Amino acid sequence: MEDITRRLAAIVMADIVGYSRLMGADERGTHQRVQRLLRELIEPTITEHRGRLVKQRGDGFLSMFDSPVEAVRCAIVIQQSMVSRNLDLPNEQAIRFRIGVNLGDVIVEADDIYGEGVNVAARLEQLAEPGNIYISGGIYEQVRYKLVCGFQSLGDRRVKNISDPVPTYRVLPDPASVNNATTGRKKFWYGLAAAGVTSFGVAFATGSFWHPGWVNSAITAVAPPPSGAPVPLAAADKPVPPPDGDRPAAAGHVLEAAVIPVRPQIEPPRIAPPPVAPVAPSPTAATIGEPDMLPIPGGHFLMGSNGDMSEQPIHGVTVRPFLLAKYPITVRQWQDCTRAKACVYQPSGNDDAPVTNVSWDDAHQFVTWLSEATHRSYRLPTEAEWEYAARGGTETRYWWGNVMKPGFAVCKGCGNAVTPMKVGTGLPNPFGLYDISGGVAEWMEDCWVKDYSGAPADGSARRSATCGEHVLRGGSWNNGQDDIRSASRDYYNASVRYPTHGIRVARSS
Amino acid sequence: MVTRRMMLASPLILSTSALGKTTAPQDAYLYIIWPTDGTHIKGAFWCRFGLRGMGVTHAGDKTPNTGHHHLLIDIDEPLEPDVPIPSDKKHLHFGTGQTEARIDLPPGPHTLQLVLGDADHIPFDPPLVSKKVRIIVS
Repeated sequence: MEDITRRLAAIVMADIVGYSRLMGADERGTHQRVQRLLRELIEPTITEHRGRLVKQRGDGFLSMFDSPVEAVRCAIVIQQSMVSRNLDLPNEQAIRFRIGVNLGDVIVEADDIYGEGVNVAARLEQLAEPGNIYISGGIYEQVRYKLVCGFQSLGDRRVKNISDPVPTYRVLPDPASVNNATTGRKKFWYGLAAAGVTSFGVAFATGSFWHPGWVNSAITAVAPPPSGAPVPLAAADKPVPPPDGDRPAAAGHVLEAAVIPVRPQIEPPRIAPPPVAPVAPSPTAATIGEPDMLPIPGGHFLMGSNGDMSEQPIHGVTVRPFLLAKYPITVRQWQDCTRAKACVYQPSGNDDAPVTNVSWDDAHQFVTWLSEATHRSYRLPTEAEWEYAARGGTETRYWWGNVMKPGFAVCKGCGNAVTPMKVGTGLPNPFGLYDISGGVAEWMEDCWVKDYSGAPADGSARRSATCGEHVLRGGSWNNGQDDIRSASRDYYNASVRYPTHGIRVARSS
Repeated sequence: MVTRRMMLASPLILSTSALGKTTAPQDAYLYIIWPTDGTHIKGAFWCRFGLRGMGVTHAGDKTPNTGHHHLLIDIDEPLEPDVPIPSDKKHLHFGTGQTEARIDLPPGPHTLQLVLGDADHIPFDPPLVSKKVRIIVS
């Protein structure tokens, strides 16, 4: 009887760079940190992507997936999360993975898998630079049109004990890193990082902006800048922005495929503090349809753009970790408030459609009621929190790049200017947020001020003496392409309802 | 003539749209008090809105013969008569019943035009639209 189970699988193999050195420096601490990573990050991420953790070792792990796309996404989430986790650590304590992903036939046993497919994944992993993901040609063929990101071909690599050379690709989730990888402009970026461009550190922290070579830079970036170093913006002004660019620093290299819509797995960039508060709804919450909240890690980013006067000056903002609703509030969710007689406004439309035609005053009634009903402090997001979350670590016009792409947003000029019938039909941004760009414009806590002169740098809401108008972000189905950029701002009278205005709620974590 | 045709068309519009049109008195007149056509302006300015034969109220108020102002900046596209006036940087809404606004435009030639909207920001029938004012900001 044949009792060997064979199957085709996407194999993800990862190991920790310099594990012996880490153990030599601090055996107990390293072991604990690695175990914690496995428990808090690796295992849940693999599960989230429908994979199986086959085996964990002190210095790495082996996992398998049915889907190559999920396997690569999982690897990316892990690498991005590691960058943010490492930000707060001294260089010598940073844990960096190398990851190899291969598609191959494997022999499956209860607690292990074998076969050439596994060996190739292991060899790819050994080839990979720290912080990198190398994938085989087989994986590449499966994911190239399904993941919105860049791939750098490294040619056919001969690997130990494998007869045929393996076509090898490096995964590059960010357009700028493609350019770096192909034109050798690293020096410039290193220069920026060394000059203390903390925003890049943040971009790392938030996810989509990692690059193998930048991991070290990211760590230096959190150190105070050397005296006399140019301020980040001045440095960032040097390259000539392309006509489409939202930002001089990052916009240079428009790649059609810019950012992978990865699952919201990125955790706050810290290891020491307790894990993120659970976001599962309480029993009370279930009865009132509490919004699905995603944890947004804290970080630093450059807010604003040169796109419009109202978005200037571009300024650094540090945002604390917080929770933001995955979708705009729906008609159904709002109706709970109306039924409770806590909201005056009676919405119309499909139950699953985003609620529309709400004023800022209406929105405030809703968050007040939601907080009381759930005993949690719901509120409107601040403008800084919103832009930080909307960018998801990107510095491009939209979270997917600099160019409008069909299917990424609902807007006039996106080819689909229709009232959204349902939330969550498009693609999620790197933080896992849906409908962030276009759809309904979202009310912010902030009072409207015509530009960012004197704006807070701590992520708090902007106040003003006369606060008759509040900020709206994200643009709507009835706005043009320019109005749904991550940096675009709009405003409206707080007491007035308008058909394209909706709400997405936030909570401090 | 235009007015008459639009009034004739309105029953058809009603049948296809949930939004009924609000009628305006025939003698109502919407205009920009200041700046006047051809004005050269330095920096930001107060634009003042004029309305005769109707009252200004806040958005959402369905009192007959009242509406609120919308200022169109550099808009050349024809107004869509049956849908809410867009809201963006070139379509400013004055839904609390404002009759003037501080306007800050980049240097260069610009046009200003007022449109009166009903409780739901939809143009009246017949539409109340001001003459377009051309200004130069320096």
